[in-house]
Amino acid sequence: MTALRNYLLTFADDEHLMGQQHVEWIGVAPFLEEDLAFSSIGQDELGHAVMLYELVLGLDDIEPTDTAIDALAYRRSGDEYRSSAFVEYGTTDWAEALVRHWIYDMVEQLRWNLVTASSFTALAVVASRAEREETFHRRHADALLDKLLATPGSDACARLLEALDALVPMLSTLLEPPAEESQILSEGVASASLASLHLPAITAINERFGTNYGTSDGVPGTAHRQTRSAAFDPLMTRMCEVLDLDPEASW
Amino acid sequence: MATYEVFLKKDGKDEFRHAGALDAANDEIALVMARESYARRAEGNLIWVANRNNIVVGDDAFVGANTDKPHRHHDGKAVAARRKQQREESNPT
Repeated sequence: MTALRNYLLTFADDEHLMGQQHVEWIGVAPFLEEDLAFSSIGQDELGHAVMLYELVLGLDDIEPTDTAIDALAYRRSGDEYRSSAFVEYGTTDWAEALVRHWIYDMVEQLRWNLVTASSFTALAVVASRAEREETFHRRHADALLDKLLATPGSDACARLLEALDALVPMLSTLLEPPAEESQILSEGVASASLASLHLPAITAINERFGTNYGTSDGVPGTAHRQTRSAAFDPLMTRMCEVLDLDPEASW
Repeated sequence: MATYEVFLKKDGKDEFRHAGALDAANDEIALVMARESYARRAEGNLIWVANRNNIVVGDDAFVGANTDKPHRHHDGKAVAARRKQQREESNPT
């Protein structure tokens, strides 16, 4: 139970915080349509987080009301989250936001694929529902990158590659498995370890960006996502800014 | 950048209808942005985006109504009078 709960939280917390980071671009993305598109994609990720939090609440034997989901999403202490530094990282640089969007969704597809035939059938249902939206997310990221990477040596290319250099080391946290993942694998909840996505992810990055990252880059961590990065607290403060104005308010 | 006109079609027999416009760097970006800008709340399930440069335009000088051609206009009085006369001749009282 703890292993499964941890596993679900790992994915749910990544989805939640990634969604939050995306929606923060509303109003400040490079152009109006991108404001809408990027924050809409962020809302999809938040929706995926809700579906996964509902599964967690089911394990906890708690009815998945909005209040219960909010409590799980916003009111845990940092050490109870299982998010990665990759999604906690705060940036106001559009190149980093765009590259992170592409990497995250590329890895997200691989992650859903691990559980599409899950022995925990409710998770398999969530996977197929989420993956239908991911096709668009990837097409959105690729459409922008196709255009921006079209001219080697351009300012756009340089900025994107710089962003990539900043983000690839953090890939290690996104691919870091939760504690007791082996139990998840032996029970057939997931078909392979999160860490097994390392090589496919690096390969995909190199194909997309024409780079030469190797197997020693972004190596999956082994700390089981027990601690949060320095960026976590500021992010949580931003997320809970309105909620904290009146914790007793009914939403 | 080019300006694209966006058309949406709902499922069923409705025709494509103009939804708005947007600027985009290429066709693919126009399509991706149109989906999120105009169809994210299920306003339609098919989209056309048309680069405005590719639209054949009939301008006002060509299409607009010409209101100054009295030679083409009549008020029907002559026809009405003739038909009235024909009726009276065929149905003498």
